[in-house]
Amino acid sequence: MVAKEFQETPQIVIRDVSYRYPDAEDYALEGLNLTIHKGEFVAILGEHLAGKSTFCQLLNGIIPNFKGGELEGSVLVCGLDTQDVSVAELARKVGIVLQDPEAQLFTTKVINEVAFGPENLGLEREEILRRVRWALKVVGLEGMEDRPPPSLSGGQKQRLAIAAALAMRPEVLVLDEATSQLDPVGTEEVFSVVRRLNREYEVTIIMSTHKSEEVARFADRILVIHQGRLIAQGTPQEIFRDTELLRRAAIRPPQVSELANYLEAHSLRMLEFPITIEQAKRGIEQLFAGV
Amino acid sequence: MDYSAGYYPGHGFFHRLDPRVKIALMAILTIIVPLVRHVYIAVAMLLTVVVLWCISGLPLRIMGGYLKMLRGIIAFLFVVQAILHPGEVALIDPLIPPSVPLIGGKGSVTMEGLLFAALITVRLLALALAFFLVTVTTPIHLFTLGLVRLGLPYQLAYTITTAFNLVPTLQAEAKLIMDAQRLRAFSAFEQRNPLARMKAYPLLLTPLVIGAMRRAQLMAVAMESRGFGSEGERTYIEDIAMETKDWVFVGLTTLYCVAVLAVNF
Repeated sequence: MVAKEFQETPQIVIRDVSYRYPDAEDYALEGLNLTIHKGEFVAILGEHLAGKSTFCQLLNGIIPNFKGGELEGSVLVCGLDTQDVSVAELARKVGIVLQDPEAQLFTTKVINEVAFGPENLGLEREEILRRVRWALKVVGLEGMEDRPPPSLSGGQKQRLAIAAALAMRPEVLVLDEATSQLDPVGTEEVFSVVRRLNREYEVTIIMSTHKSEEVARFADRILVIHQGRLIAQGTPQEIFRDTELLRRAAIRPPQVSELANYLEAHSLRMLEFPITIEQAKRGIEQLFAGV
Repeated sequence: MDYSAGYYPGHGFFHRLDPRVKIALMAILTIIVPLVRHVYIAVAMLLTVVVLWCISGLPLRIMGGYLKMLRGIIAFLFVVQAILHPGEVALIDPLIPPSVPLIGGKGSVTMEGLLFAALITVRLLALALAFFLVTVTTPIHLFTLGLVRLGLPYQLAYTITTAFNLVPTLQAEAKLIMDAQRLRAFSAFEQRNPLARMKAYPLLLTPLVIGAMRRAQLMAVAMESRGFGSEGERTYIEDIAMETKDWVFVGLTTLYCVAVLAVNF
């Protein structure tokens, strides 16, 4: 994958963040320090309940403004301290797509779903309709304006949720397990839309997921969260070849990486560590050719 | 889950009415229906509502569904009112023999009791069917817009309309849970014995309430994340306007209500 150039100015700066849910004894997140740049595609991996959702909701101020609890440290998003501004204000900067395709859609028509956000911002009707058309086109749902959201497929529902977030024109899009309830076709739909947003529109993507095959293809950087702590970060290559880390954080790497790790354990090392099928194919051919 | 379960799309005459007119209709009926004192007026109002349903362009099975839903409470109300209402013309002798202390001699069914029970239940039926007709023909966002145009703050209007939608939402959810239970050979809800069914209700209500609370939380997060509660005036992509047909409906309804009250008193 060609490495992307990122702007020098950091877009999200997290400093010494620890967070406890209301009435909880243990920290859901602890000792978090992190910088994310504009245009990055960041994947968050970790077990169920490791703190991935908490991290996602930290970025748009749902935590702590809506959920309460105890937040130490600071979260700066696009120059705004999430503890100083309302969730509604942050919604212009950070869009979020949740795991449950149904609970986050609550209107009777696709067009109203997408318009809900810009309407809340009090934009002119013409501007709202322009944004709705644009957002539906980006996610490939144009022509479905009058469909009731419950009648859409899983992949379409999540694309609609993305469109609804996009209509706010956010600079950052957070996807919290947004493909975990989708079949392979729906997953592919969502990932290709997200990649397009990242590449063509320079939207920063932060995505928590379990689907390492897709992460390997699209992500610039992986964050590994384990028991509320950021225990590692790096490129997909770096993360997926660290067998000790994978075991500790209970992350399943792409199958080709698993194969490469197995071969390495038996002293067969590929020239380039594979994370995609193409790389694995090349590596195996080279192994056979005795390079 | 389908959060718009109450709305049924269509282009009938009731669908096209301005939501403000429909809200006003609900308000007026809420005031007038309890004032009705004669069974024949209540029956006439019920028939009017049924006629409105018939010309609304909606499939009649929807009304049938609501009637089916209401039959239990209607039957219960009828029996209780018939027994408890005092009267002179006894039709059925006291259910409890006079020899029993304290409550002896109670529980007789009289002509007056029957008429009163009929009045209560027909009134309730007319009101409920009218409300359902409005909710079935009005998409929730237009409802909200109607309330806002009537002068309510957006967040309050949104809360009210969401509450209105709660019943169909919970119904859809309950059906889902019951189906899931049935798939695992749980048959208490199909039993004739009402006691057995009563005992099974906690098994339905627990997941229903927990599920509803979880979804409400998620929905609130989703809404906040899309700027719900922003400061400043909210805008709407749709607009509503009172047209001739709306004014005609308002006029006819007013006449109807005046006529009802005139006959009533």
